[in-house]
Amino acid sequence: MDNLQILKIAFYGASISLIIVGLYAVITKRNLIKIVLGLSIMDNGLNLLFITIGFVNNGTAPIFSPLVMEKYKTVEAASQVMVDPVVQALVLTAIVIGFGVTAVALALVLRLYRHHNTTNIDEIRNLKW
Amino acid sequence: MVAVNPIYYIALPLLFAFMLPILGKIYKGLIRIVPGILYAYLMVMSLYLLRQVNITGQPIIVEIAGWKAPWGINLIFDAFTGLIVTFITVLAFLVWMYSYRFKKVEFDNALKYFVLLMLVTVGSIGVVLTGDIFNQFVFLEITALSSYGLTAFYRGRDGAEAAFKYLLVGSLASTFILLGILLIYSQLGTLNMADIARNIHIMKPELKIMAFLLLFIGYGIEAEMFPMNGWAPDAYSQAPGPIGSVFASMTSKAGLYALIRLTFTLFDFSTVSKLLFVMGLLTLIFAEGIALRQEKIKRMLAYSSIGQIGLIMIAFSFNTYLGVFAGIFLMINHALIKSLLFFSASYLAYNSPKKYIKDIQGFGKYMPITAFMFGLGAFAIVGFPPFSGFWSKFYLLLAAAQKHYIVLIILILSVSLVELVYYLRVVHKLYFAEPTGEYEPHKPRWNGMLAMILLALVIIAIGVYPDLITHYIDRAAVMIMDKAQYIHNSLGL
Repeated sequence: MDNLQILKIAFYGASISLIIVGLYAVITKRNLIKIVLGLSIMDNGLNLLFITIGFVNNGTAPIFSPLVMEKYKTVEAASQVMVDPVVQALVLTAIVIGFGVTAVALALVLRLYRHHNTTNIDEIRNLKW
Repeated sequence: MVAVNPIYYIALPLLFAFMLPILGKIYKGLIRIVPGILYAYLMVMSLYLLRQVNITGQPIIVEIAGWKAPWGINLIFDAFTGLIVTFITVLAFLVWMYSYRFKKVEFDNALKYFVLLMLVTVGSIGVVLTGDIFNQFVFLEITALSSYGLTAFYRGRDGAEAAFKYLLVGSLASTFILLGILLIYSQLGTLNMADIARNIHIMKPELKIMAFLLLFIGYGIEAEMFPMNGWAPDAYSQAPGPIGSVFASMTSKAGLYALIRLTFTLFDFSTVSKLLFVMGLLTLIFAEGIALRQEKIKRMLAYSSIGQIGLIMIAFSFNTYLGVFAGIFLMINHALIKSLLFFSASYLAYNSPKKYIKDIQGFGKYMPITAFMFGLGAFAIVGFPPFSGFWSKFYLLLAAAQKHYIVLIILILSVSLVELVYYLRVVHKLYFAEPTGEYEPHKPRWNGMLAMILLALVIIAIGVYPDLITHYIDRAAVMIMDKAQYIHNSLGL
């Protein structure tokens, strides 16, 4: 196994374990802040997974600049070494959405804390959980 | 024509939603008037475009920023998406009319309410119109985020708790959806839904199943599908009254639309309809069973709403023209009738903080018109003849009969009986029980009254003369069944 493969496996493993850690936190933790943290970790794992899929070893930016064309001659050869810009655009969007969700979640936690004076999810049970 | 373009559905409400705070600084009344004008404009535009699409038979495709379909994002306004968008805009206008005087004295709260209302409309219209799966995810998140905000609107109630619950489940849903999109993209290298549908057969079967299940669960959560719909009754009951109608007619419809697009267009499994059928059946039985035991009126309406979603899923799962026809009819009726029920119920239970059914007993004397509207809605949703609800149930039974599902017909009829029982219980209490005198009735304002009367008129008009919309539903049903046509429209192949 060469270094590249190890690197790829490491990235996939890291992102999937981040998702699992996040999911674990969301399901088992009773503290509202920790649950929000779990959601955030899950988001990050997902984003990392997206980036990993677009990964190209020694890749360049997806711009057909004169410098790149000089090095690789044809468009086909140049496009082989370019990283996928779509996943990066998706991740940028997903980061913003994740930020929004985290902000709203924290605002709700604050509201819950003021109302119930606790951040323990077990003690907040006015509605059926 | 410059004045009509599907892009305005997304651009204008977004623009004005974020301009409302500035407009409010100029003149406080503007935050109420501007959304109304905008919704009226969008409604007229939808009706015009829908007519256009049905006359010419050509869908209206908008390529955003001039990029052609598989590379850029396109908006597709065809007979099916157009019909749903039209109903969303009509309902949005009525919700606006109903809540025109909402928080008349509290400027800040009213501002928040109208901004969130516009955002939830943008999100659900975008989910329906877009031809790009990631874009659909973004719009679904806009819908969900503004729904969290609307759920937590009241500080005094348990809104924050309901919203947090909703947010937890909603975030899980978005994680699942993103994972599904990721799987599809990593295999097919495209995000355009028509392009995915065209190439889905080259995807590895095991990955295909995984992607499908991830997306199905994700959209199912948004569409209030069993068993991930625990958030729905809390959100419905904690949000302000008219928002119940928004959840029923926009938020859940957006999720449902994504679910239908997923099963009918995106994937090519033949067994998918069975999954849809089983989940629909479970949703229906579970929700109607629980609705029977509810003592709070809004929770009862919420469970009834979930039950309707189950019925719609069953109708679509037949995978026949008649089934799809019934499904679209049910979607429209659910949006109309449930809105009427939520409108009237939130006036009836206006002064009761806990919204128990026993709090509003005998209110038929004090609020004759509102109580009558609730009764009309109750009979319409159960499916009595002079109302529009009758036709959708009738077509559903017809579709089941065509498939020879005798047991299902009996089941649907008995579920309708259950519905009748719990709605009649409320109507009975409204008219024949002695008032407890604990809570003062609240006189409806003219705008709320007008919105309810308009809704009731539409429900009766469709019930008496269903040809008003069956033509449009017919085209929509043909459209959703025809996958090749969708691909052709979207990609221009």
